Amino acid sequence: MRILVLALRRIAWMPPTLLGLIAIVFTISRIIPADPARVIAGENASPAQVEALRQKFGLDLPLMQQFMRYLRDIVNGDLGISLYSQRPVVEDLLGRLAATFELAIAAMCLAIMIGVPLGVVSALHRNRWLDQVIRLATMAGLAMAAFWLAILLQLFFSMTLGVTPVQGRIDGWGPDQITGFYTIDALINGDGETFGKALRYLILPTATLAIPAAATIVRFTRAGVLNALSSNFVFYQTAMGLPRRTIIWKYILRSAFIGTLTQIGLVFGNLLAGAVVIETVFSWPGLGLFAYNSILQSDYNAIMAFTLFTGSVFIVVNLLIDIAQTLLDPRTR
Amino acid sequence: MTGKFPPLTINRRAALAGLSATGLVGMHSPAFAARQKFVTANNNPYDLLDPHQLFDIGRIAVRLNMYDALTRWVDNPPRLENWLIEKVTISPDGKVYTFVIKQNVKFHDGTVMTSADVVYSMERILALKKGAYGLFKDVIEPGTTKALDPRTVQFTLTKPFAVFMAVLSELWVVNSALVKKNEKNGDWGADWLSKSEAGSGGYALRRYDPAIGFQTARFEGHFAGWGKNPIDDAEFRGVLETATRVLGVMKGEFNTTDGYLPAEQMARMKENPNIKTWEAESIRTFYFIINHWKAPLNDVNMRKALCYAFDYDGFNNKILSGTVVRNNGIIPNPMWGAPKDLQGYTYDLDKAKYHLSQVKNVRPLQIGAMAGYPQSEQAAQMLQAGCAKIGLEVKIVSEPYTTIAPKLNDRERAHDLIPLWRSAYFADPHNWTGFLFNSSNFDAGNASYYKNPRVDELCNKALIITDQDQRRVMYEEVSRILVEDAAGIFINNTKFHGAFTKNVKSIRFCPIGDAQDVRWIEMQG
Repeated sequence: MRILVLALRRIAWMPPTLLGLIAIVFTISRIIPADPARVIAGENASPAQVEALRQKFGLDLPLMQQFMRYLRDIVNGDLGISLYSQRPVVEDLLGRLAATFELAIAAMCLAIMIGVPLGVVSALHRNRWLDQVIRLATMAGLAMAAFWLAILLQLFFSMTLGVTPVQGRIDGWGPDQITGFYTIDALINGDGETFGKALRYLILPTATLAIPAAATIVRFTRAGVLNALSSNFVFYQTAMGLPRRTIIWKYILRSAFIGTLTQIGLVFGNLLAGAVVIETVFSWPGLGLFAYNSILQSDYNAIMAFTLFTGSVFIVVNLLIDIAQTLLDPRTR
Repeated sequence: MTGKFPPLTINRRAALAGLSATGLVGMHSPAFAARQKFVTANNNPYDLLDPHQLFDIGRIAVRLNMYDALTRWVDNPPRLENWLIEKVTISPDGKVYTFVIKQNVKFHDGTVMTSADVVYSMERILALKKGAYGLFKDVIEPGTTKALDPRTVQFTLTKPFAVFMAVLSELWVVNSALVKKNEKNGDWGADWLSKSEAGSGGYALRRYDPAIGFQTARFEGHFAGWGKNPIDDAEFRGVLETATRVLGVMKGEFNTTDGYLPAEQMARMKENPNIKTWEAESIRTFYFIINHWKAPLNDVNMRKALCYAFDYDGFNNKILSGTVVRNNGIIPNPMWGAPKDLQGYTYDLDKAKYHLSQVKNVRPLQIGAMAGYPQSEQAAQMLQAGCAKIGLEVKIVSEPYTTIAPKLNDRERAHDLIPLWRSAYFADPHNWTGFLFNSSNFDAGNASYYKNPRVDELCNKALIITDQDQRRVMYEEVSRILVEDAAGIFINNTKFHGAFTKNVKSIRFCPIGDAQDVRWIEMQG
């Protein structure tokens, strides 16, 4: 019951949060001195040609009127037409959704698989050489620019070792689409070769996204474990003679993971934002590349749709995290 | 017209072998092993396929490979070929053009092309008001193009237009029956054609994903026939990051990429044993637009001071390592109409100081450099350094093209100076002179707001006369006047530096298309 109330409360907060988000991005995108009508019309276009396009897309209307019109369309489930491709933005967005989710989920899994054990190990070896090495590595992981890291990985793994592709999501086109996740679709189709290829193409972008995310998880897990280590229940369980492994992986980790879980929600948001850079470098045909193109082309509707979508995903993921936290931590019920 | 590859089928053993590929073992699909495949990594996304909405060199592969036009540019210097045309008749007043189109030109669905398709294509351009509309809007009224019989089409121009044949290379003919079938709410099939194709070109669309690019297969029935070893499958991918495109070619994931890479990236490519490079002087001039509308830039002494303050040799030969060619005027060196003896400006700070001293009310100037285009930013810094030596303050503002573009045709908001390129959409001196410097083109191409009655007169006259020798004399005079007036800072003509994997045997470079016309490419192995 408590969880249901929490979920409903969070869902009720979604519309005003998204409204705020839309208002901010809408205003910023409209006040920058770019003119999408001019860009669409091309450099050989006459003023009349540009003006005709401006009217067609409603860009000649007062800002407030444009905003109200946009809100009305959203309520009707219409995110508008891309100023550039002339296709419904939803169509372009949905076409790229699976690519980004496949990448973000892979990166998230990898980050958790690396981050949580390293965080525990680091805490258990507090202030010893292993701890220092892990802490140094996490600092480097957080400090290194994603763009730089991506190029380093490309140079080493693709060019020097020749074991991974430089870019792209697959050689040629992907498997027949079922879920849009190439790895899963290949498995469903029983196509082992494509599955292998899809995994190879996933390696570098996943690693680039996962490294900073893993660094964050290591730091929070370490802090959580250190906190738990000094608590009374661990002292009591040790005194009771419980095996060390059971204390660490069953009780301490569960307690420490609550804080880490909150961070995972935030990290997922960062992964979606980070995808803009990573997808551009690796030419990964997802939402990040879509956002990058849309910004370059001042494609207002596409920028707004991307923002609205990622904002919604961020809210939903954090709602799920809150629910998971409530389930994990009896004190919050 | 969109289709899909046949799905790859695989047995249990092969599946296990595939799983072992996760251990970073490369595998090849056997399905198309025998077919020659050519992959291009483009610096622009292919987010749109409609040939009448596109009008840029960046995505010209869409038009060149999937569509045909009445005329076509080939080779370097560019030569205009009657592509779909069998016979042309021009009325004595130069206003009525009658074309007989070739027999048995077929669209990819097997339909025979007729004059009605040409008429529909022209009307579609005029109705959509996008793409190449700017080339035709002043000379063709909607509804005036007529299909006289199934193979004869007649254009009646509102005034003589000497470059009409040249700009017809942008009238890409679409399969009217197919497009009409897909029209929605009077949109001329814009939604459908944005992701499909209805052409007759050398390659037919096989798959398209706006996020990736498009894949084509050779159209065996193309009217122009095929050479000995044509490419079977051509794939075009949008890869925005320069370093990724370069690494991709070096690794063999792509066969080529764009031909205007930064000098240091080109140097990397040249060192790679798996790559061969192709160099050719293009027709793409790099210059500074000077905004004559704003004082003191309306003073010729101010403009001359700027022209003398730019270190041409340092920029062209040191910063760009000689990958470009000095171009003294606005018309590219290889083009007719560019005077061979034209004297340009040199880097001479004494002369710059002298001209600056003649200017009243000198104020700090602002350069709008194009962010993401290193050459544009480097040129801005070069001019800034030269100006600092003569005591002139210059501020640089780097902005993306989407921010610069609207200002180009807004005289008040425009920057004082903008370093940028003028590409070739058609190979005629009008592309660089009349379009850029005729005062009738203020707010629509003449971003310098330059006005000289003699230049206007010559440019207008040159558009009426069809004799090239007479036109050459006029454009040569225009070129000289523009230099004398210091209408812009004319810096260089670009060289095309194509990088291709070693197995690419031959290409046929044309500056209009930048070697993206796959029908001329041959590969081995």
